[in-house]
Amino acid sequence: MRAALLEGEEAVVLPHVRADGLTAAERLAVYRNNVTSSLTALLEQVFPAVRRLVDERFFAYAAHEFLTRQPPARACLADYGAGFAEFLAAFPACRELVYLADVARLEWLMHAAAQAPDAAALPPQALERVRPEETPRLLLSLHPSLGLIASSWPIDRIWRANRAGVESSEEIDLDAAGARLEVRRSGSDVVMRALPAAPFAFHAALKAGEALGAATERALAEDADFDLAAALVELFRDGAVTAVALAPEEPSA
Amino acid sequence: MERARPVAGSIAAHIGVGLRAPHIAEVLASRPAIGWFEVHSENYMGRGPGFAALMKVRRDYPLSLHGVGLSLGTAEGLDRAHLYELKELVERSEPFLVSEHLSWSVTGGVYLNDLLPLPLTEETLAVVSRNIALMQETLGRRVLIENPSSYLRFRHSAIPEPEFLAELVRRTGCGLLCDVNNIYVSCTNFAEDTAAYLAALPSEAVGEIHLSGHFRSERRGRALLIDDHGAQVSDEVWALYRLALERFGMVPTLIEWDKNLPPWAALLAEARRALEVAESIMAADADAG
Repeated sequence: MRAALLEGEEAVVLPHVRADGLTAAERLAVYRNNVTSSLTALLEQVFPAVRRLVDERFFAYAAHEFLTRQPPARACLADYGAGFAEFLAAFPACRELVYLADVARLEWLMHAAAQAPDAAALPPQALERVRPEETPRLLLSLHPSLGLIASSWPIDRIWRANRAGVESSEEIDLDAAGARLEVRRSGSDVVMRALPAAPFAFHAALKAGEALGAATERALAEDADFDLAAALVELFRDGAVTAVALAPEEPSA
Repeated sequence: MERARPVAGSIAAHIGVGLRAPHIAEVLASRPAIGWFEVHSENYMGRGPGFAALMKVRRDYPLSLHGVGLSLGTAEGLDRAHLYELKELVERSEPFLVSEHLSWSVTGGVYLNDLLPLPLTEETLAVVSRNIALMQETLGRRVLIENPSSYLRFRHSAIPEPEFLAELVRRTGCGLLCDVNNIYVSCTNFAEDTAAYLAALPSEAVGEIHLSGHFRSERRGRALLIDDHGAQVSDEVWALYRLALERFGMVPTLIEWDKNLPPWAALLAEARRALEVAESIMAADADAG
């Protein structure tokens, strides 16, 4: 029945279905439509800007192709659609929309941020007892909702112009600079902001679990004027730091 | 947590509404006079802000957890990870009711997001009974099993659905969630008698009633109803609700409307209508008694 519902291979199921006024195929089609339309509606909710960038019919087509190849693995559908951006990136039918997959990646980060677990933010005093020589080994855990995305395209502007309820005739220059974006939850809202190259590299390194010394080096590689103290003040002010630990000492050479 | 279940004797306290995320802020702000709320268990298995908001609702209202994804008809057995997530959710939210469907949706590690039909046979009876028993044992409580809306029946289905449900009750001690709209939808789709269906259910086992809207279509002059929870409760279903109350007495009754989700006020209006119907039936009952 799974093949009948997802792939339209009905031959095995139909002989077992009582026709009774309607054909067996018509009866089976109700279920197939329920499965397809409910999952398509779910993807539309998670990827509203993608849905507006293509049209309703194309989105339904892409969603159908996606859910046939990657049906949900579990009944809790909160993480269904995680593979949709990668699917779009490889989907020949939307190759001309070069930025589409990155917009999908951004929307997935927003969706994930909205339902990430809560974690209490630490005050800056959490660093008070750190000795200066330990600073490079500091590990800062960032809030579970915090996500980062870099794109060659101005996906923040594309996303803003394609939100539900927004009628925008803004012309977006695709040759303009790309975007480095941070997404996180603030209160009950998901917020997005653009970051300069150095803080973006800094946050990305911390998010990847690198210690403060290594993360600072990455930021300095982007911008020699990177101000670590100011970057730390900002992270704590945003409530983005949820745990502080020390990485083990490197064995001395 | 006080008020763990609807207050006995108060009809209004028995009328609940299916709560969807877009309405939670308004419910928390306005504290409507609703007896209880029901949510889909699968929507609250994470630890994000959604669950925190639900717990705020739970502080002031009894809660029912309605599962749509455990797949009690799966012959391979239940997904243990899903079952344990449900157990954790039950422990954290202390619902007064826990329910699931007579259907399947999981096969070979794939979840088909619908309540799919089962062949109603002795073999299926054994599978579903085993799964319900495991569910009840794991959760440490009795669960209610809902009759699904059906669009097809298998040739080898030998047992009428209400009898199948009655046998599940007998074998596992589970209760029943009688979805009146689903009875109307299925009976219309197979040209069967709704009153006979109701009469065949073991009334003492019915612990909850669902009311919702459906979508009506036609194929060559033959009605095909789709249970989409996307409209007001139809007149025929209100009539069947009266019959159900006469037969089962006042049981917790839920308004479900989650597709084409209307403003909260529309759900409140449906709940008021359910209350009016229930009060008229119960008053008539009292007069007769």
